[in-house]
Amino acid sequence: MINRNLAKILSKRYIILASLLFVAALGLVLLPSYQKNENVTAEHLLAKVINPERYITSDVLADKLILKDPSILLIDVRVVSEYEKYTLPGAINIPFDSILNPNYEGYLNQDQYDIVLFSNDNFKADQAWLLLNRKDYKNLHVLNGGINGWYHTILNPPKPTEDMPQEAFELYNFRQAAALYFGVGIKTKVKKEATPIPVKKVVPKKAVVPVVKKKKRKPEGGC
Amino acid sequence: MGPLIPNGFLSYEWNIIIAVLIGLAFGFILEASGFSSSRKLAGVFYGYDFAVLKVFFTAALVSVIGLYYMDYLGWINMSMLYVHPTYLWGAIIGGAIMGIGFVAGGFCPGTSICAVAIGKLDAWVYVIGIMIGILIFSEAFPIFEKIYNGYYLGNITLVDSFELPASWIILAVTLLALVAFFVSDIVRKRVKKVFY
Amino acid sequence: MDKSNFNKLHVYWNPYFGGFLLGLLIIFTFYMTGRGLGASGVMKSGVVTMVDQVSHEHTIKNAYYSKFVSGDKSPMNNWLVFETLGVLVGAFISGSLAGRIGFRVQHSPKITVKRRLVFALLGGVLFGLGAQIARGCTSGAALSGMAVLSTGGFITMLSIFGTAFLFAYLFRKNWI
Repeated sequence: MINRNLAKILSKRYIILASLLFVAALGLVLLPSYQKNENVTAEHLLAKVINPERYITSDVLADKLILKDPSILLIDVRVVSEYEKYTLPGAINIPFDSILNPNYEGYLNQDQYDIVLFSNDNFKADQAWLLLNRKDYKNLHVLNGGINGWYHTILNPPKPTEDMPQEAFELYNFRQAAALYFGVGIKTKVKKEATPIPVKKVVPKKAVVPVVKKKKRKPEGGC
Repeated sequence: MGPLIPNGFLSYEWNIIIAVLIGLAFGFILEASGFSSSRKLAGVFYGYDFAVLKVFFTAALVSVIGLYYMDYLGWINMSMLYVHPTYLWGAIIGGAIMGIGFVAGGFCPGTSICAVAIGKLDAWVYVIGIMIGILIFSEAFPIFEKIYNGYYLGNITLVDSFELPASWIILAVTLLALVAFFVSDIVRKRVKKVFY
Repeated sequence: MDKSNFNKLHVYWNPYFGGFLLGLLIIFTFYMTGRGLGASGVMKSGVVTMVDQVSHEHTIKNAYYSKFVSGDKSPMNNWLVFETLGVLVGAFISGSLAGRIGFRVQHSPKITVKRRLVFALLGGVLFGLGAQIARGCTSGAALSGMAVLSTGGFITMLSIFGTAFLFAYLFRKNWI
């Protein structure tokens, strides 16, 4: 009995196999299409966006620069002309337009430094931050307020009024000292100096050893 | 994830070991399917044996469906795979010359290597012939250069050519192949059996 | 050779089974190396090596050879060469398991050995020439190309089998 049933099935085996193949091919058609995320998932990116570590305040950055923290890598995403006029000490200029240029990948795609991106304000640096995070690069931060914020907090901090707490005065003192360190003393005595002329300093470029990533081999083939 | 070696999951040295192992399986499958016999291979053109058609299309279907499922599951990155470049007239003319060579010699390079391994003398001669053919091509390269390098369309796939989703193309190819299998069985029943 | 033994020699796998395994092998090959199978490449490497041995200057000057002799890397140090070594061994194992090993010329009873060998040589020359023009043979271009839906692979496949069917009538005496 079993043998006869088996023989019955076996006689149809090619039809069964053919329909299996057909169903498999049909399955590909019917599978719901989905957007492939090559780099980062949306949840992952969102978590990074909310994370407060995304921003670094100018005070923290100034402190680190004064202490000559070697783990900081400053990236100026403004255009070259602006970079040449004034920038933060040790910053590397990677204009926003060429932020995804593979030539700079060695600087940006690494996990040795804490990268601090900055522009005139938050805007461009934030965009650069987002682009680079989409590529799943590590340790990216944005200087809160950018160069303008830097100017208003470090180089030309508002003088605290009498009714402010003790901390505000301490912060003011720190900022004054920092301003001296960065070469632009606050001319408290000098009036009418609304915009201190940015001092063009010859800044030694930070030597960064680009990490040589394991190069993906392009598959070759042919007969 | 995949392909493993181009993505650096396996060191490049493994490539050679894997090459030998893949070749081992390739040779075994070809020989065991009867591809070391030129008369069996040529049978497809005279309707007395459709092993070539069946093996060839089953392999193509299984691999293309499997690869696309693996791509869907994220196990393999299709864009990292080597896609045979399309040189339109090179493929057509080269294919035509190969077609005549196939039906005249009864082997293709892969199967001739299998036949060489089991001592078929006609396959030895065939391999020597292939080498002479390559020699002729190389020495006369300036003549063929235009067709060799011309009409380059890039590493395109049928998805680019027909502008259809890959899944529909695979379904169409599958249907065509299944029809071909079905027809080949009918033809085979009608053609006089050749004992080889 | 008695009749029963002769029949046993021609017991091959079911073609669908062979094709299924071959398909799995192609998937495995792409998964591991990102490239497909190939066969004619090794003969090209062989020719280039031989010509290089005879006259190194000639290979450098020739526009086609010079693509494959770069620096101190031998053209034999090639993925396909190692793969082909495997093919030889694999086919030998399969052949010995089925008892198909032996030096002989397989030909239709209607033709002589000499005719078979002449046509084999002729077919080889044509196939070698065509495989270079199309940049690949049935395994490298057609089979591996079809696995990734390469347009060139499909064109090559159609062209090979189409022409072979067209010209099959001329060569019928060799086979039937």
